[in-house]
Amino acid sequence: MHIQVDHLTKNFGSFTSVDDLSFSVTEGEVYGFLGQNGAGKSTTIRMLLSLIKPTSGSIKIFGESIIEDRENILQRTGAVVEKPDLYKYLSAFENMKLFSQYSGLSLSKTEIMRQLAVVGLEGRAHDKVKVYSQGMKQRLGIAVAMVHNPDLIILDEPTNGLDPQGITDIRNLILMLSREKKKTVVVSSHLLSEVEQIADSMLIINRGKKIVEGKVSELLNPGKVQLEIETLDNATAKEILMASFWSSSLVNTTKDCVLVDAERSMIPELTKYLVDQGVGLVGIKSVNSLEAYFLSLTSEHAV
Amino acid sequence: MQYSRIVNIEVYKIFRNPRTYIAFLVVAVVVGLIQLGFYTDGKTYLSFGLRSLSDTFDLKGKILNGYLMAFIILQVLLVNLPLLVSLVAGDMVSGEASIGTLRLILTKPVSRTVLLLGKFTAASVYTFVLLLWMALWSLGISMLIFGVDDMLILKSDMITQILSSDVMWRYVAAFGFAIIAMLTVAALGFFLSVFAENSLGPIMGSMSIIIVFTIMNTLDLPIFNRINPFLFTSHMLGWKGFFDIKVDANNEQIVGSIENLPAVLTSAGILILHIIALLWASVIVFKRKDILS
Repeated sequence: MHIQVDHLTKNFGSFTSVDDLSFSVTEGEVYGFLGQNGAGKSTTIRMLLSLIKPTSGSIKIFGESIIEDRENILQRTGAVVEKPDLYKYLSAFENMKLFSQYSGLSLSKTEIMRQLAVVGLEGRAHDKVKVYSQGMKQRLGIAVAMVHNPDLIILDEPTNGLDPQGITDIRNLILMLSREKKKTVVVSSHLLSEVEQIADSMLIINRGKKIVEGKVSELLNPGKVQLEIETLDNATAKEILMASFWSSSLVNTTKDCVLVDAERSMIPELTKYLVDQGVGLVGIKSVNSLEAYFLSLTSEHAV
Repeated sequence: MQYSRIVNIEVYKIFRNPRTYIAFLVVAVVVGLIQLGFYTDGKTYLSFGLRSLSDTFDLKGKILNGYLMAFIILQVLLVNLPLLVSLVAGDMVSGEASIGTLRLILTKPVSRTVLLLGKFTAASVYTFVLLLWMALWSLGISMLIFGVDDMLILKSDMITQILSSDVMWRYVAAFGFAIIAMLTVAALGFFLSVFAENSLGPIMGSMSIIIVFTIMNTLDLPIFNRINPFLFTSHMLGWKGFFDIKVDANNEQIVGSIENLPAVLTSAGILILHIIALLWASVIVFKRKDILS
């Protein structure tokens, strides 16, 4: 186990940011850390990196306590917390050299250029960071995090503020780090789709508490879906479903649609039933039930 | 060794940051302006100041010389230099917190104590280099422009003449003392920097404390007089003590002497105690600090 977190809690005055959180990350996996903004992801990551001291609970990384063995753990860990802030008056090369020295290394020019090539910045190595785009800064941030060749890489919202191409670049970079370099990567995001595409396991937290943890393939089981059924008359459609076999699957009715939990294989049968009952179907959209749950958290937060 | 590595990195960062050179530019401009002013109107200015003495004494030689110029410049600049020192020292931690690099550094295997001590050492190197720069301009360039001779120092109740052969070591000692005084300011800025998330607060805070303490030093009130000996601002101008000369029984000056060496050393000691206390407090606070920036 690379990371073992037990009953982690962080209070800021009377506000509990992280509440009795426990999870574990195994070696070599990409671990998605999912939650809406303000859910406690960054606070947890800062505690993993000893930037913030926990109120209670324990964090063990590589089997050692982050409180007692901070420097040993950080020797094997690289991280970008929120946006990668670097020295804008220095070039990418100089930033890399500087941060390698913080890690106790004295890298050769060739080695630094090789590491910059991994994130596709070797051609802009000597440009000042102040002229870099957000995507380039993000990639450089990851290069700086990896400058001492860590076993564990922690990336906090690495795709924030990036354009679609930048997001794809970072996603590919994370996958490459995991698959080719055999790194363990913890990546936080507020987008389920992001985590879904790169993570092997994931944890969803809300208001500092664990909602669910497990393998992405199991949590996002494609067999179970939630259907958003849009009809010409949603109230009538709801009444028809309530009086049928489907009543136990009915989740809710909104202004725009009727929500039904179902197995994917049952969709044709449900559609046929509604049509047979004379319901004017406008459209059916299926979403994964976990995604639906996560979206409900997000919309709740938006309200 | 981690400490020397951190010092090297921090010194490198200070001197690669364009903002650092503002202070060097300011010193060069201010010193240059004073030198220009005295080069054009200095003799008139001095003859006005010495007119009462001219009736009694026959003043010969180059009164307006490089040594006197350096003394005048130091009197002006050492009052304003704290602002330039706190500009960098106050930025050492809070500046990194505001741009976000502090959290990146602290994700590296660096001890917080070593990082803080390394940063203070780097701020001290900057202070030392800034004072060296000031010495070069105020003393070196003034000696080139105005030449050298015995040094006359005018005070409200007396005039001191220091032989030219007896001056230079006093300047070396005075600059040494000034370094301690400015390191105290740096330590104050550094301490405030540990609490803040932007550099403006510590810079303004340091200057505000210096202004308040200086006002307390200036006001001759019993309540302040009891506190004043413990305030660092009361001792920052202790460098002037190196230019007070002891006299013998015949009222002759003793070359190479200092009138009140224990007072100068006490002032230096109090300043050093302030530096240690502020640095110690900075380490305690920084070790416990949650990095939220």
